[in-house]
Amino acid sequence: MNEKTDYRDVNENPCHMCMPMGGILPIKGIEGGMVVIHGSQGCSTYMRRYISEHFSEPIDVGSSSLNEKGTVYGGEKNLKQALDNIRKVYNPKLIGVLTTCLAETIGEDINRIADDYLKERNLNNDLVIIPVSTPGYGGTQAEGYFRTVREIVAGLAQPSPKHNKLNIIVPNISPADIREIKRILALMGVEYTLCPDFSDTLDRPYLEHYSKMAPGGTKLEDIRGMPGAVATIELGETVGDEYSPGRFLADNYGVPLYTLPIPIGVKNCDAFFNTIKKLTGKPLAESIKAERGRLLDAMVDSHKYNFAGRSTIFGEPELVYAVSQLCIENGVYPAVVATGGAGAKLTNLLRAVVAECPEPVAILTESDFCEILEQSRLHQVNIAIGHSEGRYLTEHGNIPLVRIGFPIHDRVGGQRLLAVGYTGTTLLLDRITNTLLENKYRTYRTDMYDLYYKENSGPPAAAEDEVIGDDGLYSL
Amino acid sequence: MAITEQQLEEILAKYPSKLQKNRKKHIVINDSSCGAQTIEANTRTAPGIITNRGCAYAGCKGVVLGPLKDMVHITHGPIGCAFYTWGARRNKAKSDDPTQNFINYCVSTNMQESDIVFGGEKKLAKVIDEVVENFHPTAITVSATCPVGLIGDDINAVAKAAQERHGIPVLAFSCEGYKGVSQSAGHHIANNGLMDKVIGVGDLEKASGKYPINMLGEYNIGGDSWEIERVLEDIGYEIISVMTGDGSYEKLKNAHVAELNLVQCHRSINYIAEMLEIKYGTPWLKVNFIGVNGTIDSLRNMAQYFGDPELVQRTEDVIARELARIEPLMEQYKKICEGKTAFCFVGGSRGHHYQGLFAELGIDTVLAGYEFAHRDDYEGRQVIPDIKTDADSKNIPELHVEQDPNRFKLKLSPEKMAELKTHIPLSYYAGMHVDMNEGTIMVDDLNHYETEEFIKLLKPDIFASGIKDKYVVQKMGIPAKQIHSYDYSGPYAGFNGAVNFARDVSMGFASPTWNFIVPPWKEEPLLTGSVNEEGVA
Repeated sequence: MNEKTDYRDVNENPCHMCMPMGGILPIKGIEGGMVVIHGSQGCSTYMRRYISEHFSEPIDVGSSSLNEKGTVYGGEKNLKQALDNIRKVYNPKLIGVLTTCLAETIGEDINRIADDYLKERNLNNDLVIIPVSTPGYGGTQAEGYFRTVREIVAGLAQPSPKHNKLNIIVPNISPADIREIKRILALMGVEYTLCPDFSDTLDRPYLEHYSKMAPGGTKLEDIRGMPGAVATIELGETVGDEYSPGRFLADNYGVPLYTLPIPIGVKNCDAFFNTIKKLTGKPLAESIKAERGRLLDAMVDSHKYNFAGRSTIFGEPELVYAVSQLCIENGVYPAVVATGGAGAKLTNLLRAVVAECPEPVAILTESDFCEILEQSRLHQVNIAIGHSEGRYLTEHGNIPLVRIGFPIHDRVGGQRLLAVGYTGTTLLLDRITNTLLENKYRTYRTDMYDLYYKENSGPPAAAEDEVIGDDGLYSL
Repeated sequence: MAITEQQLEEILAKYPSKLQKNRKKHIVINDSSCGAQTIEANTRTAPGIITNRGCAYAGCKGVVLGPLKDMVHITHGPIGCAFYTWGARRNKAKSDDPTQNFINYCVSTNMQESDIVFGGEKKLAKVIDEVVENFHPTAITVSATCPVGLIGDDINAVAKAAQERHGIPVLAFSCEGYKGVSQSAGHHIANNGLMDKVIGVGDLEKASGKYPINMLGEYNIGGDSWEIERVLEDIGYEIISVMTGDGSYEKLKNAHVAELNLVQCHRSINYIAEMLEIKYGTPWLKVNFIGVNGTIDSLRNMAQYFGDPELVQRTEDVIARELARIEPLMEQYKKICEGKTAFCFVGGSRGHHYQGLFAELGIDTVLAGYEFAHRDDYEGRQVIPDIKTDADSKNIPELHVEQDPNRFKLKLSPEKMAELKTHIPLSYYAGMHVDMNEGTIMVDDLNHYETEEFIKLLKPDIFASGIKDKYVVQKMGIPAKQIHSYDYSGPYAGFNGAVNFARDVSMGFASPTWNFIVPPWKEEPLLTGSVNEEGVA
């Protein structure tokens, strides 16, 4: 197994974003949730731009608009003013306050400011403020996401009488994925609290009247009651304990924690359904069994095409882990698996699963697209799977890209990409297979001609980078 | 349909009282009976207001430096800032030497917590070394993000040492995000740096061609600059440099040889234009290549400046040829657009420029504004002496330039200059206000809340703005047109650009999609009342 050998300082075409970016999404998944970013104006504007483009939705995020004076005297006044103005115009139930590089570097104590604010304005019963420490240098958007979910849960959870619901904690998956999980749970008759639920808030239907606050999101009351749940299922195998909302509920309220990967791929879906079955005693619905059967049928139908694929998988650790497993199940063996952050847990998890791969797999952490491209060329990869920035691999390395994850900003429909459950897995697998096929159809005749009829034929001794983007024929 | 002061008060009534007063000053209902109307601009956005403004880093690295293709632009900071300026502005660049085009690269020092604690200077120095080794660029820029200034990294010293080590220019820009009130501060910082360290560094003393010009404040979004250059070169101008769309260090360093500087985006580049005039005696001309009339006027003004009858004739020939070609195309789109109304809210100049193009299509702009402009962009440069400087603007250093002892040359006699100034915008910009109709509205730093409220009141047919408000507008049932990124279309400048824009806007009106989407007010009658035999009761 290849590990990172060259220690560069430069990050050339990054594969990750910053913590507060990840923190915005879960707050948008809470009913009546609004965000204030405590820092300079640009942070909220940049993040809104990317999130807006991914979801094709309005993304209202406030800023405390710190200026040079604020860096000297502190930003307390600005933050309180921001909270006032947001309340007046949006009337939110919950405001998440995310810090930035600026706020953290000058040492703002947002917990104290939030407490003071609620007392001064006499709001303790009407508004929840969730302060979250998300310095841009403290981690990637994945850590920002989970730390924010954890703080939301920790901020709201109360000792509650036992009830029949399951807590479902989801990572940064698409609104379509969240809706699919909800459909499955409803089909099985399982009661649940899913957090954060941005399936409606970040994928709004067209309605006759536009409202500033998107309807939907996890209800505050439901989050308050999470300590009384039967158990927590957290789709977050790669999440460190200090970021884990499920770990918080287990340690503080004794809620049993079941950590699972995102249900993408047969094994991961099976694990998800088996866990639900075990926890609730509810049998698997017949229609879900049929969905599983169809997935297996699709896998059989496509297995030869898939086996010609060699993949590069990149992005946020949780998604990378699940997609890698899907690829291994289908013989689209990963050659390069990469994430922009430290990804310590991911590396260990991946080591176990890539053991099944026939050839060595490069696991790249703290990576960038410069390194991902280099490694993909080296391993003669013919398909890449990840977010939009992977277009660099297509443009510079001629490697086709299957888009999944966040952000998708050069295509529409990032919010509608479905990949979870047996049906979602089937759809994602089809996209992978079809991308391989598209490339094969594009070059097949030329390749065959060159191979058998051209003078001096034989497998071409092409330069390394020319082999990339091939249909994988010669590598078999 | 105009709005009344009372309606405006009702919109603002939702704000806390202090904010009401603040926002009131940023909104003007155009009324010629009031004489010169004043608008407040370039002041800090109230915290918690959902504005479209960015930061100084965005203006410096994102806008002005980013398009320079033969320089590697290093962002010194945590990863986010670099990521968010990666290809986000669609400034196109092509290069004869593909090894010297770094436009698709995003390079960051990716600062971690330990760098914040122990300082990031060493890492920055190493990153510069690696960039030189990997890319062999003509030159390098280093742009600072918020924490850099706070922890006291001396990026100027690091850059200077690297420049000596590698023998290529390494320029540092202290454009920390918290400086100033918007990206405008970053424009100024970038302008100062380019003027100080790049322009004039070249040893060219005279342009080789006739009518040598620089084009300032044109960023080649969607290929705009290429369309403008096509026309200018056809007429016979020699374009020394474009600042900064598809621009390069190599070209910029000889920008001092131009005989005239064109200013397209006044806000982002007027500092360089002014400094070039002081240092080299080169006047600048405010141009507007958006819209057919804007383009024609700009071309004619340029020809007048040089005053060569041959150039004047050639200009007219090219205009006639282009018009004959595009007028029938524009006509067909005009039929679709005629009678519609628009909002036009963009960054620093387009909020003004696109009004002319809309008008050519028969679309009235009923509300317009800028994200980050200053008062002179609304009211005209004559107000500059009256603009109060506040703590935020004082933080941006002014670069003091003097006449270059060897290269300063008056391009026109003072008499000729004065004469020309009476009829062409030479070293002058009149701003948006004079071009707007009675009863229309100017809003500075329009925010989400006000956007919705003004839409409800004025019911425009199209909203020209950016990605962040696009989906609010479309969810309200109105087509949006992105004027920042052009919705992945363009070019929109010049003659061909006008046709592209007309086509894209017409699509917004003519697409059958909208038959399924009816804004709420179109289902209800706008006027209620009963009709009797004499007419309306």
